[in-house]
Amino acid sequence: MPDMVIAEFDEPEAAVQAARRVRELGYRDVDAYGPFPVPELSEALAIPRSRVSVLAFLAGGAGATSGIFLQWWCNAFDYPLDVGGRPFASWPTYIVIAFEATVLFAAFATFGAVLLGSKMPRLHDPVFDLPGFERTTLDRFWITIRHADVDELAKTLREHGAVEVRYA
Amino acid sequence: MSTALAAVTDELLGKVLTPPRWLKPALLVTFLGSLTFVWAATYTVITGIGVWGNNIPNAWAFGITNFVWWIGIGHAGTFISAFLLLLEQKWRASINRLAEAMTLFALVQAGMFPLLHLGRPWFAYWLFPYPSTMSAWPQFRSALTWDVVAVSTYFLVSLLFWYLGLVPDLAAMRDRAEGRWRKRIYAVFALGWKGSVSNWQRWRIGYGLLAGLATPLVISVHSVVSTDFATGNLPGWHSNIFPPFFVAGAIYSGFAMVVMLLVPVRRLYRLEHLITERHLENIGKMMIVTGWIVIYCYVAEWFSAWYSGDRFEIYEHFVDRPTGPYALLFWIVVVCNCLAVQTLWFPRARKSPLVLFVVATFVQIGMWTERLMIIIGAESRDFLPSSWHAYHPSIVDVGLLFGTLSFFAFLFLLFLRFVPFVPISEVKELRHA
Repeated sequence: MPDMVIAEFDEPEAAVQAARRVRELGYRDVDAYGPFPVPELSEALAIPRSRVSVLAFLAGGAGATSGIFLQWWCNAFDYPLDVGGRPFASWPTYIVIAFEATVLFAAFATFGAVLLGSKMPRLHDPVFDLPGFERTTLDRFWITIRHADVDELAKTLREHGAVEVRYA
Repeated sequence: MSTALAAVTDELLGKVLTPPRWLKPALLVTFLGSLTFVWAATYTVITGIGVWGNNIPNAWAFGITNFVWWIGIGHAGTFISAFLLLLEQKWRASINRLAEAMTLFALVQAGMFPLLHLGRPWFAYWLFPYPSTMSAWPQFRSALTWDVVAVSTYFLVSLLFWYLGLVPDLAAMRDRAEGRWRKRIYAVFALGWKGSVSNWQRWRIGYGLLAGLATPLVISVHSVVSTDFATGNLPGWHSNIFPPFFVAGAIYSGFAMVVMLLVPVRRLYRLEHLITERHLENIGKMMIVTGWIVIYCYVAEWFSAWYSGDRFEIYEHFVDRPTGPYALLFWIVVVCNCLAVQTLWFPRARKSPLVLFVVATFVQIGMWTERLMIIIGAESRDFLPSSWHAYHPSIVDVGLLFGTLSFFAFLFLLFLRFVPFVPISEVKELRHA
């Protein structure tokens, strides 16, 4: 007994309308796929805003701290080298590397958070097996609803402009 | 709309899936050219850097010129992809990936020179702080260590930014490519991208963040490179103006390189409807702006030399450069960097790919020559005439420069062959809006 409905749209606007309606009907296990980002669609499905930025900020702070610590450790603590009587811990010379470390840590954290947050890398996903999924990277938008009252929902989705509705 | 989207995707992917005929011979030629680099680098490593023209007092010459020049070329790529993304300049969408690839490949070339100049490149890891049995640590109060960190950070961040932007398009390649193995290879690089709304939302935030992080690097990397010179005492080097001066020159030559790549790609791949006259014109305008910043820097350099009252600075700038043994370099710089770009004041010139290409070539030659002029001029004639010494490049120096140019072209052609070089999802989004 299939309980998953897949509706295919060729216009993002229609997909947004349909997604709103599906939410109104009380379905929560809903996802959508498409060839480019449609912010309205994530709003319609009430996708919580990703916290990538917070992570990047924290990682940047960690980068700055470790950049400064590394330089202090190397040149003022573990291997102090007298160069013309200049101070061992000379903070102005720390600026460049502290800055670079901030950027580097934040960039890696951002990249990692985007991938891991989306559960990537994961080369296979059951959704790839659904026939016609490859068109979502081309020109189609999909809305998938799990645990659905199949027949009734299919009718609603067609009314909202789905070019095709399938069950899985 | 749907058919239009499908058509754009198929057209752009088609350029990669069925490569044009000229690509194979071009790959072969640039590959053979790259062998020059292999020869020159092998000879250098086996024999020692005495085979270069460098010798005291000219400790830095072609090698560092090439390094500074190649790094600078990268900057326009980051400028186009990151800076213009933050400013929501939507026209950048069709050229940003080409520009980012240019950045990465230029950095690869740049990195080779300091590595070879070490003389014993197998000890390159000594540059990084690691707990060694010699209990010595790198000296971070020296500008040279900043360079290592700045350049490697720049490379890594550019790579992450480029790759993250590429992932959705690699997924499109995965879903379109013919043949089992091709599909699999693209699938691996696409990392299992699904294109779900939460994927896209996270991707967009992350991409914007990386743009924001890459943007200060446009300014910082060449500033740090310039401190290698500015913290030195030589007349013509020891100047506060160096960081902005180097950055302006870097972006200037970088835009010139973008033109030199974009004009042929646009024509050979028939991309005139995506990379339009407007793109060319905007880049032309950027070249005028950065060109004038560079000219302003020259004037400021002369002014501060004169105003300092320092006789060595005055001699370097007003006697040695324009009339000394390397006067030819100075006049090439004036013609190529200051005069040639003025053509672009005319809108017709900015819209003509041929004129743009020629001007860009001039600028490229001019910027390379400028770096050599700054380095050689100061070193060959410092404070004491008794330590003056002329510099002549050796055939190995020339071989390394030619070799990296070929290798750059080779990498760029490989990129055109295997990677969707116009960002498909961004173009689609733009078309839709």
